[in-house]
Amino acid sequence: MPELHHTTPAVEWNNREKIFFRFFFIYFLLQVVPLDPTYFSSINWTQLHYGDIFNIAHYYPRLGWIIAIVALVGAAIWTYTDRDKRISYDRLYYWIRVAVRYRLAIALFAYGFLKFYPLQAPYPSLSNLNTYYGDYTRWKLFSLSLGIVPDYQSFLGLVEIITGGLLLYRRTASVGAFIVLIFTGNVFVSNIAYEGGEQVYSLYLITLALFVLSFDLKRLVQLLILQKPAFPNRFHVTLTKNWQRYGRLALKSFVIFFFVLAYAFKLSMSQTYQFPSTAGLAGAEGIYNVTQFSRNQDTLPYSKTDPVRWQDVVFEKWATISIRSNRPVIIDSNNTERVSAVENDRTYELEGTAGRHYYSYDVDTLKQVLTLHNKNKHYKGEQLVLHYSRLNDSKLLLSNDSLYVVLDKIPKKWLLEEVAREGRRKSIKL
Amino acid sequence: MSVIETVLQQDARTTTAPNPVDAWKPWHKVLFRIAFIFFIAICIPNSTEWYKLVLNIDWTHLHYRDLYDIARFGSGINLFGDSIFGSNLLGYANWITTAIIAIAGGFLWTAIVQWRKTEREEYNVMYYWLRAIVRYRAGIGIIGFGFTKLLPVQMPYPSLGILNTNFGDLTAQKIYWLSVGIVPWYQIFAGVVEITAGSLLLFRKTTTLGAILLFAALGDIVYVNFAYDGGVHVYSSYFVLLAAFLLVNDLPKLYNLLILERYTVPVNFYPDFSGWKKYTRFGIKAATLFVFLGWFFYLQLINFLYDPYKQPSVAGEKELRGNYTVTEFRLNNQVIPYSPLDSVRWQEATFEDWTTFTFRVNRPVFLDLSNGGGDPQRDLNRTFEVAGVGGGQRVFHYYADPKNHVLYLQDKFKANPERRNRAAGVGGDGGTARNLKTDSSLAATAALPDNWIPKEIWQDEVNRIDPRAASTRRNREFATAKNNEKRNRMILQYDTKDGNRIILHGINENKDSIYVVLDKVQRKYALSESSLKAGKY
Repeated sequence: MPELHHTTPAVEWNNREKIFFRFFFIYFLLQVVPLDPTYFSSINWTQLHYGDIFNIAHYYPRLGWIIAIVALVGAAIWTYTDRDKRISYDRLYYWIRVAVRYRLAIALFAYGFLKFYPLQAPYPSLSNLNTYYGDYTRWKLFSLSLGIVPDYQSFLGLVEIITGGLLLYRRTASVGAFIVLIFTGNVFVSNIAYEGGEQVYSLYLITLALFVLSFDLKRLVQLLILQKPAFPNRFHVTLTKNWQRYGRLALKSFVIFFFVLAYAFKLSMSQTYQFPSTAGLAGAEGIYNVTQFSRNQDTLPYSKTDPVRWQDVVFEKWATISIRSNRPVIIDSNNTERVSAVENDRTYELEGTAGRHYYSYDVDTLKQVLTLHNKNKHYKGEQLVLHYSRLNDSKLLLSNDSLYVVLDKIPKKWLLEEVAREGRRKSIKL
Repeated sequence: MSVIETVLQQDARTTTAPNPVDAWKPWHKVLFRIAFIFFIAICIPNSTEWYKLVLNIDWTHLHYRDLYDIARFGSGINLFGDSIFGSNLLGYANWITTAIIAIAGGFLWTAIVQWRKTEREEYNVMYYWLRAIVRYRAGIGIIGFGFTKLLPVQMPYPSLGILNTNFGDLTAQKIYWLSVGIVPWYQIFAGVVEITAGSLLLFRKTTTLGAILLFAALGDIVYVNFAYDGGVHVYSSYFVLLAAFLLVNDLPKLYNLLILERYTVPVNFYPDFSGWKKYTRFGIKAATLFVFLGWFFYLQLINFLYDPYKQPSVAGEKELRGNYTVTEFRLNNQVIPYSPLDSVRWQEATFEDWTTFTFRVNRPVFLDLSNGGGDPQRDLNRTFEVAGVGGGQRVFHYYADPKNHVLYLQDKFKANPERRNRAAGVGGDGGTARNLKTDSSLAATAALPDNWIPKEIWQDEVNRIDPRAASTRRNREFATAKNNEKRNRMILQYDTKDGNRIILHGINENKDSIYVVLDKVQRKYALSESSLKAGKY
């Protein structure tokens, strides 16, 4: 600590400042402290999955207006009853800013690490690559576009993690908050533009960042815009009792251990949570042309417009089959971040997309039977039982009482991948 | 709570403001001399081409690209070429050369000053002017860059042909640009950010804010360009570099105030602006604001409304527009049934709102992997719809003869595209020197004679857009256009009653006769359209 310590009071707060402060104190306290009982009960505390840590960090009260009204009433009562002149507003400001800083930092770590280990937007599946551009919603295209460049995703994650780190320290908090404004400001606008589902949450983070930055805003304007001398922060809290010092150390260590180290470790050990991890039919991964398609002994010719005839079929590496046909798809338009440990809830591959029908399947290798379940929540219960046989390495036959489908693997080369390998400077024939 | 609050009361007088003139240490001066040479060199155009272009601008019939060209130029010392030991270091070689010369020059300058004992105290004046030059260079440059986003034409909304292309059949670069193109309002937001940053740089008091904004926004764009192979990494890094230089002045102050928590006195040296200097300064500033904010906005608006630069501007035949299935296809009177694997038969076809016809065939062809940029005035050379698109998509420009129901079609793919962004020099976003080196064996087979399109069909093309979008630049390019490029050519007769069924027949690019029946399909896209659309068709 510098030597220039005096115990003289800092600049006096005037009444107007106090009234504003009382409102913001109550408002932000309610914003950052989880009071929702379901929030605690929804987490499996004994077997913590990284998704749980994410969900803990992703908390925000869904009652913005009510909180504002409560804060308004609270501030009024507080103002009316405020006879105790000994309350140090500097001290209250200090502590509420600590709470908001930590809340914000945790939020940034939560998303930052999902991006740093590029899990949030995975590289597109084979089915995703084989879907028309126009068959995606905006939000899905945003996610897929990020998914093709894992390095860039890691970079964005790193920016968030560093920003979170800056927020954990009082002296760098305003710099961190300013970066949040730029970064999350962009996320907020993107969410509106791409019809993503996180605009409320990102706006919530922006308000927290504004509050953190407001502490230094006046002196920054003074120094940079008005180009006049500026006073630094002059209020410091010195913890004297052991329990205070250790308490502070323990809390800070806990945040770093739980939301940074443990979380990062668990994430680094996992594969993408967006796609299922159950292996699919061995050796079947690929894109297949539907060479022959008969229904009830009636052979249907190739058609782009027929809602019944399949056009092509993709076997993913995992147990998903997707079928392209002209049968309309009711789009599963979930677009909020869900980190799910349960395989069946992993529906990223089909969210926000039309053009293909997605099925998860079970394989009975003895009877050579595939049991397909439509993954889309709008087609719950749709099931297909198909006998499969391999005619040769690249030919598959799927059949049951009414269907008879011959699939031929297509040796498809994707321009996306060819150019990623060769670069755009060479001439490519494809 | 037994917490002791200690209040740090620091006396302003204990931290004396450094005298602006005394503050320069010898090593400051050496660094400054190096920076001076370096930043002057990269703030002025280095090719005679730019000067020629700018001198030839017709200010009475301006095109937005004229101002864009003023704002965008190649710079740095390139007397020894743009590579070091044969490598252009991803395009940064020119910076390294400039830096080496600046370092040598800085030391030489120092030596001369010490030898002649002519060291002056007026470094603050020179530093002020160096910062002023960099501020204006960065400000004008980023404003020029930002306007094509503010009125969203830089990344167009995908054409029908692209909407019908598989995601994996696009290059990464294309995917990124499309991902901005599908949300014009977001593109506007990006333009607002860039123009705001640029405008803030034009004022001394808001320079820091502008520089931070520029640094953050363009830093991201640099990374994007590397990640998606966008090709504009050097030009975006350029702004990051200029912004970083401008921030050097303020970072110590911020560090002092926020991290060290010390009383901070800003030291900003401003030269004397009184008398005629005051008016000159005001005049230059006002002219810059008027030309690069006001006039530029107007020209860009005209471009957005009537002539979006990456998208063809001439309207297509009204009754032909839409998505079609290829119901019947005959090649030399032989019916070929539909199969997605057939290497001759067309699969789906589209007529865009403008003069473009696309269809898909399952046969490999050479692809245009550029970013489809530049500023071609002729629709035939506006290649955004074909650039970076694979999956068997064929894209043809057509001239229609509505009287005789004939379409004259030319392949938009060209092995050796025109040179683009001439003012920008090396590091331009497409079609510069590297495209000229493309393998010449890609040349198409032009099966039809050179005078295959009657003159009356194409001759007044230059005037087929709204007269408000006319410009000398457009006239000049049309006047010098080549008419006999080797491209794939087709002449097709079209018959339709209402556009629901179109019959095309004639000669294709291989001189085979084709007969094609197209039936309109209403494709419902999951991708929502924006209310904001460029062009008038």
